[in-house]
Amino acid sequence: MARIGVDVGGTCTDLILETFESDSTGRGVFIHKVESTPQDQSIGVLNGIRQICETAGIKREEIDLIVHGTTVAANITLEHNGAEVGMLTSRGFRDILHIARHKRPHNFSLQFDVPWQSRPLVKRRNRIPVSERIFPPAGRIEEPLDEEETRAAAELLKSRGIKSIIICFLFSFLNPAHEKRAKQIVLEVIPDAYVSCSSEIANVIREYERFSTTAMNAYVGPKVALYLQHLEQKLQSEGITAKLRIMQSNGGVSTAEKCARESVSILMSGLAAGVIGGRYCGALSNAGNILTVDIGGTSADLSTIPDGNIKIKNSRDTYVGEYPVLTPMIDMTTLGAGGGSIAYIDEGGHFRVGPQSAGADPGPVCYARGGVEPTVTDAQVVLGRLDPEHFLGGNLSIDPGLAKKAITEKIAKPLNMTLEQAALGIIRIMNSNMSLAIRANSVARGYDTRDFSLMPFGGAGPLNGVALAREISAKEVIVPPAPGITAAIGLLVTDMKYEFTTSVPTLIGSAQQEDLDRINRVVDKLKTLCRERLLEDGIPENSHDFEQFAECRYRGQGFELRAEMPDGKLTSKNLKAIEKNFHAEHERDYGWRFNDVEVEIVTVRVIGVAKVEKLKWPRLEEGSGSPVEDAFMYERPTTFDDGETRVTPRYNRDKLRAGHAISGPAIVIQHNSTTMIPAGYRGRVQEFGNLHISEHHA
Amino acid sequence: MATPKTDPITLQVISGALRTIADEMAHVLYRMSFSSIIRESQDIGAGLFDVNFNTLTESEGSPLHIGSIPGYLRGIDKCLQGGEWKEGDVVIHNHPYYGASHSPDLCIVIPIFFEGEMVAFSSNTAHHVDIGAATPGLIIDIPDVFAEGMLFAGIKLYQAGERNDALWKFIESNSRVSRQLKDDIDAQIASARLGVKRFTELLEKYGRDTVLGAADELIDYTEKFMRSRISEIPDGEYRAEGFLDDDGRNRDERLPIKVCVRIEGDSLEVDLTGSADQVPTAFNVPFDGSTKPACYCAFRVLLMDTYTADYKMPPNEGSFKPIRVTAPKGSIFNPEFPAAAEARFTQCNRMIDLIIKALAPVIPDKVTAGNSATLSFAAYSGVKPGGDYWVFLEVNEGAYGGRPLSDGPDTIDNLMVNTRNNPIEDLGMHLPMICDRYEIRDDVMPGVGKYRGGLGVVKSQRLLSQGTCTHECERHYDVPWGFMGGGEGAVGKVEIYTHGSDGAPRSVPSKFSAWPLESGQGMSYYSPCGGGYGDPYERPPEKVVDDVLDGFCTVQHARDAYGVVLNERNDLDIRATNALRSTLRNQKT
Repeated sequence: MARIGVDVGGTCTDLILETFESDSTGRGVFIHKVESTPQDQSIGVLNGIRQICETAGIKREEIDLIVHGTTVAANITLEHNGAEVGMLTSRGFRDILHIARHKRPHNFSLQFDVPWQSRPLVKRRNRIPVSERIFPPAGRIEEPLDEEETRAAAELLKSRGIKSIIICFLFSFLNPAHEKRAKQIVLEVIPDAYVSCSSEIANVIREYERFSTTAMNAYVGPKVALYLQHLEQKLQSEGITAKLRIMQSNGGVSTAEKCARESVSILMSGLAAGVIGGRYCGALSNAGNILTVDIGGTSADLSTIPDGNIKIKNSRDTYVGEYPVLTPMIDMTTLGAGGGSIAYIDEGGHFRVGPQSAGADPGPVCYARGGVEPTVTDAQVVLGRLDPEHFLGGNLSIDPGLAKKAITEKIAKPLNMTLEQAALGIIRIMNSNMSLAIRANSVARGYDTRDFSLMPFGGAGPLNGVALAREISAKEVIVPPAPGITAAIGLLVTDMKYEFTTSVPTLIGSAQQEDLDRINRVVDKLKTLCRERLLEDGIPENSHDFEQFAECRYRGQGFELRAEMPDGKLTSKNLKAIEKNFHAEHERDYGWRFNDVEVEIVTVRVIGVAKVEKLKWPRLEEGSGSPVEDAFMYERPTTFDDGETRVTPRYNRDKLRAGHAISGPAIVIQHNSTTMIPAGYRGRVQEFGNLHISEHHA
Repeated sequence: MATPKTDPITLQVISGALRTIADEMAHVLYRMSFSSIIRESQDIGAGLFDVNFNTLTESEGSPLHIGSIPGYLRGIDKCLQGGEWKEGDVVIHNHPYYGASHSPDLCIVIPIFFEGEMVAFSSNTAHHVDIGAATPGLIIDIPDVFAEGMLFAGIKLYQAGERNDALWKFIESNSRVSRQLKDDIDAQIASARLGVKRFTELLEKYGRDTVLGAADELIDYTEKFMRSRISEIPDGEYRAEGFLDDDGRNRDERLPIKVCVRIEGDSLEVDLTGSADQVPTAFNVPFDGSTKPACYCAFRVLLMDTYTADYKMPPNEGSFKPIRVTAPKGSIFNPEFPAAAEARFTQCNRMIDLIIKALAPVIPDKVTAGNSATLSFAAYSGVKPGGDYWVFLEVNEGAYGGRPLSDGPDTIDNLMVNTRNNPIEDLGMHLPMICDRYEIRDDVMPGVGKYRGGLGVVKSQRLLSQGTCTHECERHYDVPWGFMGGGEGAVGKVEIYTHGSDGAPRSVPSKFSAWPLESGQGMSYYSPCGGGYGDPYERPPEKVVDDVLDGFCTVQHARDAYGVVLNERNDLDIRATNALRSTLRNQKT
């Protein structure tokens, strides 16, 4: 019953394999990395699976489950190569997707681009109005759907060879009858069409966001479906009969079929896995309050996990590129700062770092692949923090001389600084940008970072962990056991998760029994939907769990917050609990509450969860038998953030054992990742291999 | 003596921190607020200012708000209650003859004290739906500034931390939507308090002198950048003129706008001499709070375009300093007390458009052809069965002129406007209104050109119970110009219609005040379309075909204006196109 987590990133495809007693190999955990194959991700995935099975010595047919984090959907949006989409929409409102929110992406610009106009998800020629009208507030049919027009529209799209079709009518969240009927008609005309109704994909108020989400689904859907089918076939032809599950943006996994149908839910697939992996690694040493910082070559992904609870973005903030997508996404911030971020002096003489990046190609100057702009990685090399012979596990030879030269000429000389000062400046500016973003994602949302542990991972994370923790006053740093594959770990600790929503605008203060009945009916309906999905996935009913939220706002506000709903039926008694939860949420988010303003429920959300058995990360051997000196490699001068250069010992992380402690200054080296422990800090190795670093007062 | 310079690394750290503070302030304000004009349209500005009223940092928000707060602060300085700032004060201010942008934009100011000394101000402005003016929501045809509603001149909502209950009670009795007004003021206070907290933390971390020193250097830096851009423009006087439809009362009096931009080395003057005299309605522009920030905005979009820039400039006073603004007292851009001056936006936008036109010949790579350059601002209101008012304010979009490398964007907020529209579905759920149409205007074509002008919008909103409507917009007569061989755009229009009636809609002027509408009556707004940029015969024929397929251009128009020939299947006939284009070119020369 072995299982594999496989996470595809831009450069590497990371794998983790867990085997059990019943498997031929016995219990074990294996990790592996292969090169990604951007042209067809499934090649890298297959390579990785083959190799990790070989390494572990396990037969392919023993693999029971494969959980996959994929960027295939996100890449379609980045490369703008999705499907040609056709749209049926309410007459008089043909251009909702073109107008969007009528706000410019730039406040002060004349030459700006408007992505939803220059690269529309649905071209205007394929947006076809049909006569129909549903009226608020109750969803009354004001004008019936014109079925002839609908059929003619479908025929027109058919004649253009369009097979990905969306149906987006105003107020369909109140009454989906017209959308459903139009879908039937389209399927009669084009039986093999990929049809998405806005009330199916995002059944919530606000036409532009709902339509955009539906359009995005149709835009990425056909290719995602093709990729997933293709991958399943390939797995089968290799004799792998494992079930395939996909990571969704909301931090839950789902079946490949569901993700093919609602591919809009996996746009943030890979990113979500990293956050979940971070939470899991924190829990290995009982740390609940975690700030994850995943630093790669071009960008850094940040998230705040209070008390082990992964936060979901406010649906008003869920964008993919410039397009709003109303699917639940794990709350994280991505900023353009990483090892490849370029340092430069601007026209006005200011010292800047990023967001431009040297990327993987040509990469930092020290890679000697033709890069000439000094990067953050070059600065780390100059400061002696990244040893050439261990760079990327020793797979890449680097030239520190080139890094020195670039920083001297491009930064140090013009600013009249020493080489060291310039290199330290590059890192300080990057860390300052990053810590501001961490604060915006934590302190600004009402979380006190002093109660949090900062968890750096990704290739470039652990080197900056202590500096970032100091900037934001986090209580300690926790470097997970395998920082390079945290996202893959996340894949094997994620529950199955389905979410459904319905808008039921209701004022809590004046809610009558009939309103409560309506909400209860909606909750029941949404639970049934979740249950059906989980049963389809073969999850027995006794393993189903449900979470229910009322997305509320003060009457007249425009932004909702999630308030927990009481378990069981809503009654006039427990209704107040929603109000109370909402006031508390509002006060945390905005520092303010309005006790005397009516609270309105806008949308009800039910999440159906099936817990999976979590990965069992192996305990690390106790270090009592072997001294920490066994892990000592060599020592070398290293410059720290305080500007001091000290001869600093290197330790091999693979040889560190539980209970070992390392006092700074020290550098801990492992495959693909380097951790820095400055003077005055001490690192302690925990029983599952987490390395905790905190200030140490001798 | 020059102070020692901040080291370049700390300077970047403080620059980032200042920007983040302003963003956080804005975030709290629009997320907490109730009225759709703040929460959806984000018609706000927020930032930090030094004791000499220089902008240290400002949020993204609505461009006219940004840049107006120093005017408010200078005004408050002349009329502050008690004449002195105390720790814990919260001041409310909106007097258009004491620096305010216009009276509905209430400004909240909290002084920041550090170690017993006042070191800065945390402040924001936000547009409020109703402050008890003569007509609900918006006002145009009124006699004087006193008809604009409550005027606050440097009054303290909190005095040294003590809440001024009488003032709050007064506010409560003087607005048609007092609950919303009070809660939105509370949201502003929360935002300004957050600014105080965050700036104090910054001062504690880096020390007063370092932070204020760095802030000054950042201002110098932005100023230096702006000056170097100005000095790239050849010295000289550049002029352009246009005219406004009317003042909202005297329908046949067109009102000239004359713009002269004087470039002198690395500084410049915008001289509005020759523009119309002040008008007897509210269609005047407060000089300090609106005319000046509008000029600053013009040069930020032209010379510090954030789309073409490689990196962000610190948003502060530095971009304002090289710019001098002149408008004679008693003119529409510098009215004298007690003239009303609430409906001031569209004149500002037209003035910016004319600055662009004036400079187009010398910086053709940075401009646009004529823009819609208006603002459609509509106020719908009515009385609920219980006797309470409902008031809804809506900003409608326009379109850009063609540009040196791209078409003018369609159906989007133009120049100094940058708001979010209110969802049609949200409106329908909460107000006795329904939207009948919201799409690209298809009754006219935008300006032709190598890069065509943007298409305007049509929006039809209908009342479902009796109420009133006030509307301000512009450009029913003065058509957006084409540039470098591009064609003119199209003027806007406004109609009143009755749902279900066979009668044609009634054409009405661009501005009207508190017109009663029956249930079933509505207003359709058609925004102007942008002018074209460059020779239309140079537009790639494929793009013309795309426009035909997308309904932005007819087959006939493609042939007549672009010389592009399509066959009966709407495919490009490239041979016929080449032949026609060469004939047309010859005819032209």
